[in-house]
Amino acid sequence: MSTKNSAAPAPASTSDREILISRVFDAPRELVWKAWTDPKQLAQWWGPQGFTNPVCELDPRPGGAILVHMRAPNGVVYPMKGVFQEVASPERLVFLCGALDEAGELLFEVLTTVIFAEQASETKLTMRARVVKSTPAAAVHIAGMEIGWTQSLERLAALVAGA
Amino acid sequence: MADSLSSTLAALADSTRRAILARLSLRSLSVTELAEPFAMSLPAVSKHLKVLERAGLITRGHEAQWRPCRLHAGPLKEVADWVEEYRRFWSESFDRLDDYLRELQSKEKKNVHKK
Repeated sequence: MSTKNSAAPAPASTSDREILISRVFDAPRELVWKAWTDPKQLAQWWGPQGFTNPVCELDPRPGGAILVHMRAPNGVVYPMKGVFQEVASPERLVFLCGALDEAGELLFEVLTTVIFAEQASETKLTMRARVVKSTPAAAVHIAGMEIGWTQSLERLAALVAGA
Repeated sequence: MADSLSSTLAALADSTRRAILARLSLRSLSVTELAEPFAMSLPAVSKHLKVLERAGLITRGHEAQWRPCRLHAGPLKEVADWVEEYRRFWSESFDRLDDYLRELQSKEKKNVHKK
């Protein structure tokens, strides 16, 4: 939990909420690109530890649909839906994606840009994700996925045990 | 304000309660429906629901016996930004992608050797 000074309420606006993550993968760019755009492959890694993706449909072209049903280890299914905006193989992927409630309403929506940069035999991924829509229920939806709560504790425990 | 925030955080400090809220973010559910995936007794679930209700995170309907539980996400506005949690979502996905790519390449190497 953040210990930020919360005296002033956070602005309701979501336009400036953005995350930036980059990571270097020890794999050629073509392979990383395929892992992102082939639904069978994406289903293998999308989501937090222990999640599976019983439904994973991708149509990687501008305007093409994304539908992923993530299944948590406790059995709860989190549907996500989106649309590709830019698909420039094997360099750049832009998609709008969000979580749905059972009425099909978006709990949040995020515009994600992924850049695939070749670095010798490795690939550097840079992801920029900007929140374009957020509802108060989004927080609990994400918190319920148990990312960074028990799992980081578990991983820490495993690290300590392995030391 | 501080008190309501601490009761929100206390309510969220339990993984079962977070899982209950996560399910309620999808739709309203009865106590029986909520108890199902947790292998928990109804009284145990009711206890968690009381904590969540006191923290103002859920409301209970009055419709006959069904009394559906609904998420009331208002207090969550005070809770730290979910975007940080979303960052962890991706950080974990990237860990898995890393593992997946390694696995894929070690399989490819084996296949090359076979040929």
